[in-house]
Amino acid sequence: MRRFVPVLVALGLVAAVVVPYVALGGGSFEPTPVADPCQARALPEAEGLGETIERIALTAVDNVACQLGVSREELVLALRSEDAFDSFTSENDIDRAEAERAIHDGLVSAVDKAEADGTLPGLVAPLVRKAAENLPPWLILEALERLGSFLPG
Amino acid sequence: MRRALLAVGVGLALADSSIVTLALPEILGRFDVAITSVSWVLTSFNLVLAVVAVPAAYVSRRRPRESYATGALVFGTASLVCGLAPSFDVLVGARCIQAIGAALLVTSALDLLTQREGDERALRVWVVAGVFGAALGPAAGGVLTELLGWESIFLAQVPLALLLLVALRGVEARSIATPAGRPAVAANAALLFVAGGLVAALFLVVLLLVDGWGMSPAAAGLVVTVMPLTAIAVGRLRPRSVGEVQGVAVGVILLSGGLTALALMPRAGWGWTLPPQLLVGAGLGLTVGGLTELALRGRPDQVVHGGWTLCARHAGVVVGLVLLAPVLTSALDENRDEAIRAGAAVVLDSEIPPLDKLGVAQDVLGEVDRSNDAGELPDVERALADRPDDAEWQSLIGALQDQLNRAVTSAFSGPFLLAAVLTLGAFVPLAFVRRRRA
Repeated sequence: MRRFVPVLVALGLVAAVVVPYVALGGGSFEPTPVADPCQARALPEAEGLGETIERIALTAVDNVACQLGVSREELVLALRSEDAFDSFTSENDIDRAEAERAIHDGLVSAVDKAEADGTLPGLVAPLVRKAAENLPPWLILEALERLGSFLPG
Repeated sequence: MRRALLAVGVGLALADSSIVTLALPEILGRFDVAITSVSWVLTSFNLVLAVVAVPAAYVSRRRPRESYATGALVFGTASLVCGLAPSFDVLVGARCIQAIGAALLVTSALDLLTQREGDERALRVWVVAGVFGAALGPAAGGVLTELLGWESIFLAQVPLALLLLVALRGVEARSIATPAGRPAVAANAALLFVAGGLVAALFLVVLLLVDGWGMSPAAAGLVVTVMPLTAIAVGRLRPRSVGEVQGVAVGVILLSGGLTALALMPRAGWGWTLPPQLLVGAGLGLTVGGLTELALRGRPDQVVHGGWTLCARHAGVVVGLVLLAPVLTSALDENRDEAIRAGAAVVLDSEIPPLDKLGVAQDVLGEVDRSNDAGELPDVERALADRPDDAEWQSLIGALQDQLNRAVTSAFSGPFLLAAVLTLGAFVPLAFVRRRRA
C-alpha cells in the first residue's frame, strides 16, 4: 500500500491545479458563440438619425440572416466587399441572386416598418429605401453610414 | 572549469533542438517558403540527431577526444553556415550537419565527463545540462531574434563552439573496448513518449506566451525558467524511498497532469501557466532523469547507451512535432474564423457611435489579413490606434482583445491535451521496465 503513496500524492497535486482551473471556466475559454439571428434580441434605443439607421440595419440583417440560415455576423462581414460577398455565397452554398434579393427585401421591409412607426422621418425614408433597393449589397452599409453622417441627426 | 565547459557543450547542442521556435516567423519572412515547410528548420535537426546519435556514440567511445573536437568544429562551422545561409535549402542542410556535430559533441561529452567525474556524477551533469539546454532554448532564441535577428542565434554559437575546445586541455586519449550490450528498449521507448509530450511544454508554452499573448521573448524566457528550475530541484529532492520506476511513474502523472492543466487554462496570462509549469517541471525532472538513469545505470558502456537515450528523446521530439504542429495550425485557422465572428458581434453590440461600426470592422479585418500574411497574431490596439481614448472605445478594444485571447488560448488546448495523452503512453513501456526488474 505504501508504494502507492507517491502516486496518490502526484494525483492530488494534479487535481489541486486541474480542478480549480475547470471550476474557473477552463475548457470553455473560447470565442463567444454568436447569437441565433432568428431569436429576438434587444436593440439600442434610437436617439438620433444615426441610431435609427443602425436599428434598421441591425433588424434587417437579423431577419435576412435568419432567412438565409447564417449568422448575423457572417452576413455583415460578407457586406464589406464584393469578394467577401462572393466567398460568403459560395461557402454557404447560397445562390448569389437569391442572397441579393433577400438583402434588398429585408432592408426595404425594415425601412417601411421604421417609417410606419414614425422612427424614421418621412423626408429621409425615401433616400434610405432608394439605397436599399438599388445599391449592390456590399455598398449598402457604407452608403447608409455616409447618409447618416450627412443628414442632420 | 572543464566540467562546466562540457556541460555547456551539452546544453548548447541540445538547446538547438528548440532554439529556433520563436525565429520561425522571421525565417519565413526571409525566405520564400510555405508556412508548412518552415518547421523543417526545427524538425530536420531533431530527426538527424535521432538517426545519428547511436552511430556517433560508437565513434565517441573509440575516440572521445577526437570526436569531441570534431563535434565542436562541425557544430560551429554548420552554425556559421546557418547564420549566413543564402537560401532555405542551405539553412536546412546546415541544420542537418549541425545535428551531426551535436551528436558527436553530446555523446563524447558524456565519456569525457565520466573520465573526470565517474559514472554517477557524470550522468547527472549530462542529464541536467541537456534538460536546461532544451528548456531554455526557445526563450534564448527568442531574445536573440528580438534583439539582433534570427541569424544571430546561429552566429552566437560559433565562438561558443570554439570555446568548448578548451575543455580538451589535459584530457588523455582512451578508448572503450567492452561490448555495449543491448539497449534498454523499454526505458528508451518510455523516454520517446515523454519527449513527445514535452514538445508541448517546451515549444508551445513559449509560442503561446510570445506569439499568442504578446509577451516579449525576454519576459517569456524568465517565465519558462520555472520548468527547468523545478526539474532540477525535484530531481535532487526525490526521496530515496521512492524507487526509480515509481519515480518515473509519478513524473509521468505530473507531466501529463501539467499538460492537461495547460489545456484547461481559464484565462489568458502568464500567471496561469505557472502552476501547470510547476507540475510539468517536476514531471520533467523525474521522468527524463529517471528514464535516462534506468537506460544507462549498470550498463557496461554509458556512452553508447547515452546515444540510445539521445536517439529516443529526439525521435520523441520529432513525433511530437509531427503530431502537434498540424493540430495547432488547424485549430488556429478554425478559431481565427470563430474569433472574427465573435469580434464582429462585439463591434455590432458595442456602444461606440453606430456610424463608426463598419469602419471599425473593416480596420480590424484589415489587421487580421495583415497579421495572417505576416504569420503573426492580430494586434487590436494597433488596428484601432487612431480612435478616441474614451471609455466606450477602451471597452471595445478590451472586448476584442478578450475574444482574441480566447481564440488563441483555446487553439492551444487541443495540442496540450494530445501531448498529455502521448505522455501517458509512457506507462506501456514502463510496465515492462518494472516486469524486467522484478
